[in-house]
Amino acid sequence: MVILKRIGVIGLWLLLIFSTAVVTAAFKQRFEDGPNRVFSGGPLVTGELYRGAEPDWGFVNEVPTLELQLLNPAQSRRIWVASVQGKMYVWSGYMNSFVGQLWKSWPAQAELDDRVVVRIDGIRYERRLVRIKTGPVLDELMAVVSQKYPSRASGADVESGNVWVFEVAPRATADSAVGDQA
Amino acid sequence: MKNVFVRIGLVVVATAVCTWIIPGVDDAIESVFQILVLIAST
Repeated sequence: MVILKRIGVIGLWLLLIFSTAVVTAAFKQRFEDGPNRVFSGGPLVTGELYRGAEPDWGFVNEVPTLELQLLNPAQSRRIWVASVQGKMYVWSGYMNSFVGQLWKSWPAQAELDDRVVVRIDGIRYERRLVRIKTGPVLDELMAVVSQKYPSRASGADVESGNVWVFEVAPRATADSAVGDQA
Repeated sequence: MKNVFVRIGLVVVATAVCTWIIPGVDDAIESVFQILVLIAST
């Protein structure tokens, strides 16, 4: 009985240490240039700012993830990405679940302020997020997603609101947002 | 009882400082956390 109690106490101490370390590491990442793997990061600072014509985004299907930063709040996260018909899409799942609503705050924030900066292979692109709720592109997109990632989401999941899909579209006034990041 | 809270505070502060200062600790912690999240989500 004494041994069990001692093991329990040691376990609680280890849990305290690990929890503190996780919170500290997550907080520290907020001051870094971009996200790490799981924890959100600060604004995307480094990298050339792309100013050319809208590219064919098909190449992102060969890219594992991209870094996405909202302007408000100026935090970044690493997310999955896919392209269909030359356009780039990002998405967020589990949006109808309690855990998803707690964990995934960026989609709702993106609806309030759609301006984003994405960084792919070290190049930053100023864009905006346009939510796609219906349409034939969803099934095609989800087919690409299922091939690229271990995901079983479908167009029906998007239409039910469980998956929020955004097109990463050109910004009409992209130049005006540069100063907002500072 | 007060002694316990002091100990908890010391452990929290020491852990936070070590995680913040020592290079690579935050990355290692994130790796463990990522594995736990992956296990929990499957």
